[in-house]
Amino acid sequence: MKFLKRWKTRLLVFLAVVGPGFITANVDNDAGGIWTYSSAGAQFGHMLLWTMIPITVALVVVQEMTARMGAVTGKGLSDLIREEFGLRVTFFMMIGILITNFGNVVAEFAGIAGSLELFGVRRYYSVPICALIVWLIIVKGQYKSVEKVFLAASFFYITYIVAGVLAKPAWIEALTATVTLPPKSTWVENGYVYMVIGVVGTTIAPWMQFYLQASIVEKGVSKRQLRASRIDVIAGCFFTDLVAWFIIVACAATLYAHGYHNVADAKDAAQALRPLAGQYAYILFALGLFNASLFAASILPLSTAYTVCEGLGFESGIGKKFSEAPVFYWLYTILIVAGAGVILTPGLPLVKITILSQVINGVVLPFVLIFMLLLANKRDLMGEFVNSRVFNVIAWATTIAMIGLTIAWFWSLRAGS
Amino acid sequence: MSTVTLSELLGLPVYDATGQASGRVREVGLAPQEDRARIAVFIVKTKSGDRVLPLAAVSKINGGVRAATAADTWSTSAGAEGYLLLARDLLDQQVIDVHGRKVVRVNDIDMHRDAHHDRPVLKVGSVDVGARGAVRRLLKGVVPMAALRPVLQHIPPRLIPWDFVDLIETDPARRVKLKISHDRLATLHPADIADIIEELAPDEREAVFETLDEGVAAEALEEVDPKVQKAIIESLDSDRVADIVEEMQPDAAADLLAELPEEHTEKILEEMEPEERDEVSELLEFKENSAAGRMTTEFISLPVTANSHDAIEALRHFEGGVETVSTIYLVDSQGTLVGAVPLAKLVLAPRATALLSLTQEPLIAAHVGANDKEVAELFDKYNLLTLPVIDDQSRLSGVITSDDVISMLRDRI
Repeated sequence: MKFLKRWKTRLLVFLAVVGPGFITANVDNDAGGIWTYSSAGAQFGHMLLWTMIPITVALVVVQEMTARMGAVTGKGLSDLIREEFGLRVTFFMMIGILITNFGNVVAEFAGIAGSLELFGVRRYYSVPICALIVWLIIVKGQYKSVEKVFLAASFFYITYIVAGVLAKPAWIEALTATVTLPPKSTWVENGYVYMVIGVVGTTIAPWMQFYLQASIVEKGVSKRQLRASRIDVIAGCFFTDLVAWFIIVACAATLYAHGYHNVADAKDAAQALRPLAGQYAYILFALGLFNASLFAASILPLSTAYTVCEGLGFESGIGKKFSEAPVFYWLYTILIVAGAGVILTPGLPLVKITILSQVINGVVLPFVLIFMLLLANKRDLMGEFVNSRVFNVIAWATTIAMIGLTIAWFWSLRAGS
Repeated sequence: MSTVTLSELLGLPVYDATGQASGRVREVGLAPQEDRARIAVFIVKTKSGDRVLPLAAVSKINGGVRAATAADTWSTSAGAEGYLLLARDLLDQQVIDVHGRKVVRVNDIDMHRDAHHDRPVLKVGSVDVGARGAVRRLLKGVVPMAALRPVLQHIPPRLIPWDFVDLIETDPARRVKLKISHDRLATLHPADIADIIEELAPDEREAVFETLDEGVAAEALEEVDPKVQKAIIESLDSDRVADIVEEMQPDAAADLLAELPEEHTEKILEEMEPEERDEVSELLEFKENSAAGRMTTEFISLPVTANSHDAIEALRHFEGGVETVSTIYLVDSQGTLVGAVPLAKLVLAPRATALLSLTQEPLIAAHVGANDKEVAELFDKYNLLTLPVIDDQSRLSGVITSDDVISMLRDRI
């Protein structure tokens, strides 16, 4: 009985803090994620699988840092950057975040356009309507009730795992490719470094750190609940990357294996689910992509508006009226309107734009990581919860690797032109 | 009298009495024990480390700071502990705007410049939380100040007078040293204090609650969101919590304690005064969403024989919250509820009218076991401000007030 009671208390403690990590993980597999992983698998087969283990380690370390900072300080990441590094640094960081997140918002609308085009709905109708829906969900204060629907629908990702298994992939090869580095010749292959940056950028996106920390603070997770919150966050990381691995494997076994190396639109990417759903694969894919895109589209503009307003000291909050927090609401509105507007440009290559946005994520990531690392090592801020040495090594290694990859990519652009 | 801003002062070159450049202004410090607004010192970054330059030893501030003393007489900054340092403690930090009743972030600080016996005197006038200060700081060093000033004049300022600024300091020792109190915050309505509290980080909430007077803390705590309430209580010492809980309405106190783990509740109850403890622990026995769980035990009840004079006397001596006194209850010798006299009728009645002749008909009451829905229906149907709660023997056990019903209903919207 005593055991049962203790177990029950533990479960209650866990349930009180569960959520932020799991939701972040699900939003992480948004339109940007699905397109990027699909393209990675189609274009390079198993050649990018090796990134999954280092990415998972880095993701766990980075997200844990974020959660810890949120629980210990009770403040958002942009608040901390402002308080510790001043206005000018915050200003440039917020500009960077605004541009990066705008790219992600565009990617979400690209996902909405692509998924509904599979049903024959033209993007000139689907995108404006969905933009309006997203705007209304938040402004009318209905987000909390809609969130549950989104979360439930996120189980679509499991279809990739099933499809991956049914596609009878070369298991041994896939597993070997996960634990061994690709041959040197791969690195100079056209677009490989670009894709690596994109895969890292979509998995460890800068916006996630701001969003997760804000959610932890909002949930009121305290230092004592940190252990339970860690489980939530870390489980989320593993889920994200497991799905990513299977998307790549499924696309490698279907698209890459049959010579379709270029994912140009949703129709191509949907082929990866063919082993599971046959000719109905496109329905499954379209619904999944639509849900993921709409889910992230309702979170990203809002999270961005919060981040920027808090860092720069503008009033923010959906509890406030438009006249009380004008900057907040305008930012939010402009992100949605402009993000949707970009997609309406005729002849826009949706997938290419999406992957570019994820590469920008990857390029901006090290800057965010540097500030996070500096903050997480401040003893007057974190007390006994400062970063351990192992964490510092992994996070710095990630930062340096991303800077290195970015330089290599720019170098290849120069060499190419 | 002219205005100078903190961002303009920071980084200014400092010349000593001989006219030699000795360093740059790194910090601007107040000594709150002496004067809450007057700048006491500059901390100067010199080649040989940080030095404290008292403002009394400054002869001129004009594109640079000229000191009347030699650089080697300035003491090292080891003794700078007792100063409130504007750049570190205020710039970019959150403060409470007591006048605007919200939490704001400081972009810059405006100071009034004056002269006393030919020596410059600087006094903090207001904190800038608007775009003017932000633009000034962003462009400082990029655009020359002289060119920047006219442009900034066109940006409407958002200034908070220094007298309306409440600082948040989480270190208790510094709080004492720098005389940081929340006297001004305490003058706000408890509901406004609660809103401000909810915007702060946990450590800051704790800091505010440690300094507020128990009575104010109790009233504010009643208005705070239950989740935040619980977090605050868990962060404070149990004797401090006991002091605050004693001051709360017994029903609110019971609701709060019911949310905490049992051991914690026990500990807080132990620390409380016996009288308040009994009231609260009695209420704790009831189910939270029954009439008994919603009621308060602080109300006015008088014997059936009482007259309006007695009622006024009882009101004068009543210590509980004002919301419960809108009705005065009459009970017989067994404590059975006999009648309810609305305050308005009492006020209009001639002196020494028997209360029994003023009662409201019909007499409405809820049983202790009544659920939320039944309680809300009674309030709605009979347009009540307060509702008496009776036990199985029809004895008056407590009173539910309309504000509790509104909170209960709001939770469901």
